[in-house]
Amino acid sequence: MPGIDESLLEAMRLPGARGASVVDWISGLALGAVGDAPGGDPEATAAETAELARLATESGALAPAGGDAGGPSGKEPPVQDLIITNADSYHLLRFVTTTFDSTVFLHLWLDRADGNLALARIRLAEMADRLVLG
Amino acid sequence: MIAPLLTARTDEPASVLLATLAAQGASGALSTASGIVYLAAGHVVHVESAVTPDLGDLLTHSGALAPDGWWAAIDQAGRRCRVGRQLVDSGHLAAGALELCHLGALFDAAYFVLAHDGPALRFRPGVAHWLGAVRSVPVDTVLRESRRRRELLHRIWPEPAIDVAPLARVPSDPVELPARRGRALAQVDGVRTAAQIATALACRTFHTLVELRRLAAAGLVVPADPATASAEPGPAPLPAAPDEPDTALLRRLLHALEAL
Repeated sequence: MPGIDESLLEAMRLPGARGASVVDWISGLALGAVGDAPGGDPEATAAETAELARLATESGALAPAGGDAGGPSGKEPPVQDLIITNADSYHLLRFVTTTFDSTVFLHLWLDRADGNLALARIRLAEMADRLVLG
Repeated sequence: MIAPLLTARTDEPASVLLATLAAQGASGALSTASGIVYLAAGHVVHVESAVTPDLGDLLTHSGALAPDGWWAAIDQAGRRCRVGRQLVDSGHLAAGALELCHLGALFDAAYFVLAHDGPALRFRPGVAHWLGAVRSVPVDTVLRESRRRRELLHRIWPEPAIDVAPLARVPSDPVELPARRGRALAQVDGVRTAAQIATALACRTFHTLVELRRLAAAGLVVPADPATASAEPGPAPLPAAPDEPDTALLRRLLHALEAL
């Protein structure tokens, strides 16, 4: 049964993975991090990506059109993941859904030459589920 | 190895004493007027505050864990200080879920215990929390995060009265709000404070403060009573003296027995 560190280390085994972290998108705090941090400052990276994630999850325009935002429990984030692409890497942010009050996402930083974005997105979603469901 | 035993009130800020204890690799419980910080080998393993929901509240009130499962774990592992481990080993909770919820509760309580850095009251060496080790955090990480959270709230809306006063809604046309903010606003009734709203929602108090300060910044929420609002600049009303850990455990067990 994976804890935070095991989940992040599993993410780091994906091809091209440079760094992985789990970040609270309201406080901007990294609850765990492995590998390298983009920009070299894990705390600044967490705070900046958290702000991005917060804007996405609070955006009415980006929510599902069906109007069932939040799922049956009202706790499912309206956005599942964010993908940012730059010249040499991908950033993949996956929201983690929990029954209890948590506001976290997994952040995977992938090398663009070695990484497989489609595979990483599927795997990160599985890891987010296993992290909280076992 | 032997940490200083403080039995009398000191004027030393909790942050200074915590840094000293961390450097010594100390284990024990440091009390301040607003809560208790538990250390193991110089790292923070748990923090309790009277104004934040504890791990059990967050897990059981949200439905993530049945109250029976929580009380069974305390019953079986409380005296061995291994309740967290027991929740995972018994299959009630995934390891990652426990860590996320525990860290959420730890930093939430730490903000109210440490952000305004009152004096340390006393340190009891060797005292461990019944939850046991889940995931420890360096002392300087906890101190830095508590200060950062205070600045974050200030940037959103620089009026600390929102954190402590009973809150009231400002009459307005219906507005579209993000889900969390809407849930917080729905609890604002002219009577409850932020901490009481957090308890009602089974949400962390700091995260509730963020939503309430954003609502205040949007002009949707104000302190209900101006007299109360200007009275106290702290992050939360001073709670009664926190329970001794053993008393807290006994009280919880008593409640569990009464609930049977």
